[in-house]
Amino acid sequence: MQTPTGRALLRQIEELSGQVVSDCYQCGCCTAGCPIGEDMDPPPSKAIRLLQLNRPEELLASEGIWMCASCLVCGTRCPRAVDYARIAEACRALILRSRVSKVDPDTVTDPELEEIPQQAFIASFRKFSV
Amino acid sequence: MKSEVQGPKSETRNPKPRVGVFVCHCGINIAGTVKIPELVERVGKMPGVAVVKDYKYTCSDPGQQMIRDSVKNDQLDRVIVACCSPTLHETTFRNACAEAGLNPYLCEIANIREQCSWVTEDKDKATDKASGIIRTVLAQAENDQPLESIVVPINKRALVIGAGIAGIQAALDIANAGYEVVLVEKEPSIGGHMAQLSETFPTLDCSQCILTPRTVETGRHPKIKLLTYSEVESVSGYVGNFRVRIRQKARYVDFDACTGCGLCMEKCPGRAESSFERGMARRKAIYRLLPQAVPNRPVIDPKSCTYLTKGKCGVCAKICPTQAIRYDDKDTFVEEEVGAIVMATGYELFDATKLGAYGAGEVPDVIDGLAFERLLSASGPTSGEVKRPSDGKAPKRIVFVQCAGSRDSTQGMPYCSKICCMYTAKQAILYRHRVHDGEAVICYIDVRTPGKGFEEFYKRATDDGIQYLRGKVSKIFRQGDKVVVWAADTLAGRKVELEADMVVLATAVVANPDGVALARKLKTQIDTHGFMTEAHPKLRPVETLTAGFFLAGCGQGPKDIPETVAQASAAAAKVLAMFGSTRLTHSPTVAVVDEEICVGCGNCERTCTYDAVKVDEKRGIAVVNAALCEGCGACAMSCPSGAMNHKNFTKKAICEMADSF
Amino acid sequence: MKYVYYPGCTLYTKARSLDACARKAAERVGFELVEMPSWNCCGAIYNTASDDLAAQVGSVRNLAKASQLGDKLVTLCAACHNVLKRVDDRLNQPGNEVERNRLITFVDEKFERRVQVMHYLEVLKNDVGFDKVKEKVTRPLAGLKVASYYGCLMVRPKEVLQFDDPENPQVMDELMRALGAEPTKFDFKTECCGGYLVVNRRDVAKTASKRILDNARAWGAEAIVTTCPLCQYNLDKLRAGDSSIPVFYFTQLLGLATGLAPEELGFDCNSFDPVPFLESKGLLS
Repeated sequence: MQTPTGRALLRQIEELSGQVVSDCYQCGCCTAGCPIGEDMDPPPSKAIRLLQLNRPEELLASEGIWMCASCLVCGTRCPRAVDYARIAEACRALILRSRVSKVDPDTVTDPELEEIPQQAFIASFRKFSV
Repeated sequence: MKSEVQGPKSETRNPKPRVGVFVCHCGINIAGTVKIPELVERVGKMPGVAVVKDYKYTCSDPGQQMIRDSVKNDQLDRVIVACCSPTLHETTFRNACAEAGLNPYLCEIANIREQCSWVTEDKDKATDKASGIIRTVLAQAENDQPLESIVVPINKRALVIGAGIAGIQAALDIANAGYEVVLVEKEPSIGGHMAQLSETFPTLDCSQCILTPRTVETGRHPKIKLLTYSEVESVSGYVGNFRVRIRQKARYVDFDACTGCGLCMEKCPGRAESSFERGMARRKAIYRLLPQAVPNRPVIDPKSCTYLTKGKCGVCAKICPTQAIRYDDKDTFVEEEVGAIVMATGYELFDATKLGAYGAGEVPDVIDGLAFERLLSASGPTSGEVKRPSDGKAPKRIVFVQCAGSRDSTQGMPYCSKICCMYTAKQAILYRHRVHDGEAVICYIDVRTPGKGFEEFYKRATDDGIQYLRGKVSKIFRQGDKVVVWAADTLAGRKVELEADMVVLATAVVANPDGVALARKLKTQIDTHGFMTEAHPKLRPVETLTAGFFLAGCGQGPKDIPETVAQASAAAAKVLAMFGSTRLTHSPTVAVVDEEICVGCGNCERTCTYDAVKVDEKRGIAVVNAALCEGCGACAMSCPSGAMNHKNFTKKAICEMADSF
Repeated sequence: MKYVYYPGCTLYTKARSLDACARKAAERVGFELVEMPSWNCCGAIYNTASDDLAAQVGSVRNLAKASQLGDKLVTLCAACHNVLKRVDDRLNQPGNEVERNRLITFVDEKFERRVQVMHYLEVLKNDVGFDKVKEKVTRPLAGLKVASYYGCLMVRPKEVLQFDDPENPQVMDELMRALGAEPTKFDFKTECCGGYLVVNRRDVAKTASKRILDNARAWGAEAIVTTCPLCQYNLDKLRAGDSSIPVFYFTQLLGLATGLAPEELGFDCNSFDPVPFLESKGLLS
């Protein structure tokens, strides 16, 4: 499945995420509260800005969307109730649906497999792998 | 919304009334959709229509002249203007008719704009509907009777509820014009929140210094009857003729015997949280709000007084040189009669503990804007030295958080509170005046500086080295003896973690809950946020839809001091305009009872929201107070016997209107 | 009182002893967990893409199957609880009938009723009552200063989970108090530990987890108690080298206080061995 581009891509992201990017007034509260905020590039508010400026391809090409833990603090504290976690998931879904994985299950080592609760693997592969 | 027009008495000249219909183009608003020539032709054929004219802008002078001329020359008995909504020009055209000698209540409006040309693009449908509307109004007009406006006497005395700067200004303006004002304030002394401020933006005037001349003048004014520590219990009556019941709370201090010397306050052992100091200090059980209190008389708070709760102590009574303490004091009631009421009940700040992630109530060094004002104030609990509530040390770094609960549809109020950007800049500047090596960081979403000198004031803040960080704060918590703030720098695109000694939250401005409760009791309109609703958002900002009630100040919406004072003077002007006229008139299109049919069931009394109709127990029939009746028609609808009718909107007329469409 | 019980894959295998401990503690307190037969994986995380129906089928089947057995479905794992509750909410949203019907056709089991998805903590608070729990305590955890870590999945999204205040929940703190322990103040109760990011970005999960532990310790906590096996893993395992505090699963402390023997408490699941600590506090006698 080919990933669409431009406005068509933005529409798909909004439809899959159920969010309206123009609702965001760029206050930055999501970035301020994100537990991964220091490492995420672009952080949530900047990511939404890219969509507002009709540059969705840049967001899809970024690392940041693969670092969301779906903790939902962003959407919970947002004064406009915009849920960045769902936007990140929509972006990831579009890439994953074009059969491109971010996390390769084969790279997980046996000791890790032994030790880490399987809930983590299932969740990780659901979010990041095809 | 009712047009109150005084006009000459006129009889119907002919047995079948001659109706003139004037169709307005309203530029292209109507003519762009409704086919005017076709409509004119159809109207001309309607029975009873003696003359039909059309004009581009009927509300203009030539347009009105056209109507006046036609009334005279075509001997019209009824006038119908097919144009925009009656809320706009019903009064205009009724006045025109009156000037031409036709009773104004024989002029009706057919709304073919908001109800027709503005709701469809289909020209045929619009023309059909316009024709139908005119036919129904024709049926109404034929049933109309000439009516006279109801005259209402005016008691030229005013009541002002709330003695913050808005109430004070309104009271002074009305009193200086020579009328008596009853000024009611629920706190023991006047001045409102302005008395709590340190300095005001953008001039950095000392708040007390500019306020106290007004409060002193108010306290001394021969025309102002000041009732402090009092609350309005109920209001009955109608515009020009209100009866107000006011509760004067027990002060436990004889007002006249007390000299305000303050000895009682020195010795009192009782303690309670001081609401004036916003949680930054405690006060005595016998107290006054501030040293410059007007009136300068303390009150005893019965909940924290050892004598009143446990029967022990009594030091104040022993020490008072004029024996002014009265432990057996009770609430008393006074009745006042006034003609106009100004509501100036003011604001409160949003409860910061509701913002769970901000730590208010948990972290002692996280406080709101008014609490910080008290720390800045020279007459405050720290004599103007900025100290941390936790350990009394001077904070070296303060983070100011704007939009705490404002512009927030999920946890707070969705609106912008208007004053916070300015007062935060002011507080940061003042903090740096006091603590020269102090660092101030302001976390903001936008900086709104719309007033005179405001943008320059903002520049003054940044020139002083105050750092503005663009990003709404997500979380505030304590770490050791520091306060950590999770903020963002959206302009640089990253998360920022700040360590501060103190955090000041610019919390949302909300309507004073006591004001909201009062509005509900008095049945004046408030919006979903509790702010009092003005009669029209653009053109009638100080009146309400309840005749005789005016508004001023933050009770109507967040605003700063200059706007508050302007609005208060405007409300006073409206009151003075009312007092300046010889009589007050009220629209005559009111409910009327057919006393032969009425059985006194009381449905109408129960339905009426204006308290305008009551069943007279002795006579067993309903009686309408025409001065209070707003002509809404609800009672007529609820009347099971058909006794209740509505002048010029009778059931007969309505049925004929419905049939004729 | 018997409840239909859904253990979830982690508690069934790697954290088996936590599951066993939970069941035994339940008996002590007065209810029974009856595992539902042939359950399947709930999905481990809720997928939010609006058209992602396939990801929900597993949970739909569990809910349908549970509905044939009772009206309440109890989970022990915060992640399973989060997924099952959100799927249940979506199935029953007014206006979602088309979606609901499509999902139901994928599943053989029929819905007998709408099942109430509950977390073990909710059972303790609402059905059993903390007063009753307190009565069953034979070994009060006196002097144990513990920070209650709820994690993000227990409280958000708040409209669906409806589990206490998402910024400062108190349920587990109340439980700790009932068990005789001293819940400490804690600012990171619901901040994310990094969750599944531990698989591909261990560094990020470590940073997030360390912050949580630092704050707990700053407030004087000697231990942390959790409700999610992944949070427990992240907090317990990822802070190699730091002076650490024990990270308990709440059922371990519940079992300890209600008289289970140390061998029954699943300490093999703990990375930082809590036994010496508990002994030093006199809580293992």
